[in-house]
Amino acid sequence: MKSRNTVIQQQDATRIHETLTRFLSESGAAEVLLIDRGGQLLAMGGDAQALDAVSISALAAGAFSSTAAMAQLVGEPEFAGLFHEGTKRSIHVSTVDDEAILLAIFDQRTTIGMVRLFAVEAARAVGAVLGEARSRPKPAAEFAAPLNDTESGPAWTPRS
Amino acid sequence: MSVINYANKIIDFKIVYYGPGLAGKTANLQYIYRCLPNANRGNMISLATGDDRTIYFDFLPVSALTVRGFQTRFQLYTVPGQVQYNATRRLVLRGADGLVFVADSQFERLRENVESFRNLEANLHEYESTLDEIPYVLQYNKRDLSNLAPVTYLEFVLNRRSTRVPFFEASAIEGKGVFDTLNTVSRMALASEFGVGRERRHEVS
Repeated sequence: MKSRNTVIQQQDATRIHETLTRFLSESGAAEVLLIDRGGQLLAMGGDAQALDAVSISALAAGAFSSTAAMAQLVGEPEFAGLFHEGTKRSIHVSTVDDEAILLAIFDQRTTIGMVRLFAVEAARAVGAVLGEARSRPKPAAEFAAPLNDTESGPAWTPRS
Repeated sequence: MSVINYANKIIDFKIVYYGPGLAGKTANLQYIYRCLPNANRGNMISLATGDDRTIYFDFLPVSALTVRGFQTRFQLYTVPGQVQYNATRRLVLRGADGLVFVADSQFERLRENVESFRNLEANLHEYESTLDEIPYVLQYNKRDLSNLAPVTYLEFVLNRRSTRVPFFEASAIEGKGVFDTLNTVSRMALASEFGVGRERRHEVS
C-alpha cells in the first residue's frame, strides 16, 4: 500500500487538466473531480473551486468503495458507474482504473447519457496519464534528504 | 497512499484512527476540529447512526507546515469500531499513510483492544500490507477514568511487535494527548516520504 504513492508532475497536471476541460465541454457537465480511491482529490475542473471538493472526494470514494463491495457480493467484479439523481444537480461517478475514479456534477443542461458517454473517454485518457505517473520513479530532488529538526517539529499547537 | 502534486505544490496524506468501538476515535477528531483555527482545517463530516455511533467514517482535513516548498495536508479518518462493521472498516483503511491505534485503557476493554489490533493486521493483509510498512502510533485513551490498566501492561499487550512504536496516554474528551498523538503520527508519515526511509519508524528507547 505504501509503495504506490502518486507523484503528479506539472506535465501530468497539464494533460489531466486538458482532458477534464474537454470532458466538460463535450458532456455539458458543470464540474469534474478526479479522485484517488483512498479519498484524495487528484485534480478538478469547471466550477469545482466553489465546492468543498475535499469533502466530496472523501465521501465519493467511500460511496464508490462500498458500491464495489456490494457488487462483489452479487458476483460482479465492480459496478462501472454510480449515479445520484437530484432535483437540480446530479452526480455521476465512474471508474478510471484500480486506483482512481472520476466524478461529474451536472444539471438539466445535459443528460446522464451524455455524461456517461464522455466520462468513459475521459477516464481512459486520465487513466493513461496516471499510469505513467505511477510507473515513474519518485523524483529525488526535494525528497532526497531526510527531514531536518525544524521540518520535524510539531505541525499544530492547539489554541487554548 | 500519499499524493505529491508538483502543479499546486501540495502533499496529501491519509491518517486513519483505528480501534475498538467507543475507544474515543471520534472524540480525537472532534477535539482537533474544535482546537484548530479555520485556516488549518476543513469541515468535519461524521457518518454516524442516530445514537452517534460511527457507521462508516468521520473525516476531517487539516493542513500543516510547508516543507521544502510543498504544503502538507492530512486527511484524518476514523473507522467504525463496532465488530460488525468490518467491511466498511476495511474500506476506510485503503491508502492509509499513517495509523493511530486508539485503545480503551479500562481493564474490561483489554480483550476488545487486542481483537481490534488483530483485526487491523488482518485488514492490512487484505491490502497486501503490514504494520511494518505503515507508520503508526498507539494511544491509550480514557486515562481520566477509573479501573485503568497500567500503561506498562497495555504496552506489554499492544506494543509487542519487533519494533516498538511511540505511545501516548490520552483523555481525548479533555484533549489530553490528542495533539501529541497527531503531531507524532503526521511527522512519521511525512518523514517516510523523505530520505531513504531512515526516519520511517521512531523507535522507543
